[in-house]
Amino acid sequence: MRDIWTMVWKEWREFRDQLLSLRRGGLSALILALILGVVAPVQLGPDWVNSKLVIGYWPFLAATMVSSLIADSVAGERERHTLETLLASRLSDSAILIGKIIAAVIYGVGFAVVNLLIGLVAVNVTHGEGGLILFDAQRLVVTIVLTILASLLMAGIGVFISLRAATVKQAQQAFGIAIIVITMGPLLLFNALEYETREKLIARLAAVGETRIEVYVVTALLVMSTIVIGAALARFRRGKLVLD
Amino acid sequence: MPRRCGPSFASFGAETSLVAASSDFAIRADNITRDFGPVRALDRLSLEVPTGIVFGFLGPNGAGKTTAIRVFLGLIDATGGRAEVLGLDTRRDGAAIRSRCGALLEHPGLYERLSAGDNLDFYGRAWRVPRRVRQERIRELLTRFGLWDRRDDPVGRWSRGMKQKLAVARAVLHRPDLVFLDEPTSGLDPVATAGLREDLAALAAHEGVTVFLTTHNLNEAERLCGQVGVIRGGRLLAVGSPESLRSRRDSGRVDIVARGLTETIVTSLRARPEVHSVTVHDCRLTISLSSGASIAPIVAWLVQNDVGIEEVRQVRATLEDAFLELMSVDSNGAGTPEDASRDA
Repeated sequence: MRDIWTMVWKEWREFRDQLLSLRRGGLSALILALILGVVAPVQLGPDWVNSKLVIGYWPFLAATMVSSLIADSVAGERERHTLETLLASRLSDSAILIGKIIAAVIYGVGFAVVNLLIGLVAVNVTHGEGGLILFDAQRLVVTIVLTILASLLMAGIGVFISLRAATVKQAQQAFGIAIIVITMGPLLLFNALEYETREKLIARLAAVGETRIEVYVVTALLVMSTIVIGAALARFRRGKLVLD
Repeated sequence: MPRRCGPSFASFGAETSLVAASSDFAIRADNITRDFGPVRALDRLSLEVPTGIVFGFLGPNGAGKTTAIRVFLGLIDATGGRAEVLGLDTRRDGAAIRSRCGALLEHPGLYERLSAGDNLDFYGRAWRVPRRVRQERIRELLTRFGLWDRRDDPVGRWSRGMKQKLAVARAVLHRPDLVFLDEPTSGLDPVATAGLREDLAALAAHEGVTVFLTTHNLNEAERLCGQVGVIRGGRLLAVGSPESLRSRRDSGRVDIVARGLTETIVTSLRARPEVHSVTVHDCRLTISLSSGASIAPIVAWLVQNDVGIEEVRQVRATLEDAFLELMSVDSNGAGTPEDASRDA
């Protein structure tokens, strides 16, 4: 566990320097935070808090933030010639890999939570009218759990791809394709079904109930994340990484 | 052997329970072979590196030096043969080996966005050096290498020489038992090379660590190394002290500066049984003697033939001469791995 945190510490030092530098990404993060944390909540008002879309919005935002840097995780070390030295250290395979995943998840979830809090303040300041506008507690918990799991899945996929990519650019391209397949695939499959089958599925989902759907989604994300991270760990071979 | 100046921080790592009993040899390789598809990068390499010395591994580009380091660090497996580093099997105990070694590999491997302090802090944490000890050690090393004043600058802004020094500092930060330095002065200008070489010599003497240094800078190897091995095409051609390798080339070469040399005298000299070959440049004769022959009778004969002798000097070959000779012998197909054991 201590080695994993050592790795997280290093990754965060690099993120920090990146975020503090406006030229290297700090400015885009700042603009995004301004739009998502201030402009959108002020425009939408209480709907920004009460809408059911919140459940999908924050996980999507966190996953997007993770995806913006995870392709760099291993391919970037390879490209900048730091990978072999890292592999020659006493850190274990799992410490290196899990450390990189956790650092990216903290970044994505942290960004989402900070924006959520800023947004909450913005909504209350502009639309509070004397009372407090707050998220529904259960929905907030589910949202945060989904945000963590979506980030974890995204980080797992990103690291898995980054392990074998020769360059960051190559990793980003492969990652982009993987994300399109993962997000568009189910939609295309759904559209390919017969009209009656689609109607039946929608009716069945509606009958299941919101809470149970949330449980299904959480379970599915957890299973997929476990599989992807397990596959990445199996793919982490020092001998191959050194020679790639 | 120089004494160590502090405790080995490797003992803070969890893997140290695996460490085997101490050995007289930091590295023992027995017939290791490594193939990359049809290319044989290491060819039956057998080598013993005693503990506490600076060992120079010399060879041209593509000779197999980096591959050997990767095998010794347990980063890649040998295709055949067996190697032990610090008494640990490279195939089985890679993690334990890495926990007791430091390495500066082909590239400095520094995080250029981070400061020097953060780079060293990260690797200190990775080796579980306790916080206070880590901070003291970072200060000590950065001061020794003249980098302390720039410790907070991002490493990306540094010169190549400074980066190499920092990478060496990182390699020894946790006081490893064995340090691999893969061409540490490669790409540096002569002034930076000389500076780093001095730092390495001082470091090796001060830390008492075994250093496995690969280089094709023979001057560097001659000045730093207690023993050297010469590798080409994955095969070890020779191993021994720089002196012993030079003496291969030294045997029986004598320079004579003389007046009154004639064509007849040179021809007569060439015909003598104890003379292997003679070359003449102006008034300088270079005589290569046959095995076991002495120069004294030849000098006496020259004096008898009215040649004025001004200087007689045994030619001291440099390590570079010995190296180039080994390379030419090998490229003629005469070198075999067995030669290495003879030299050893």
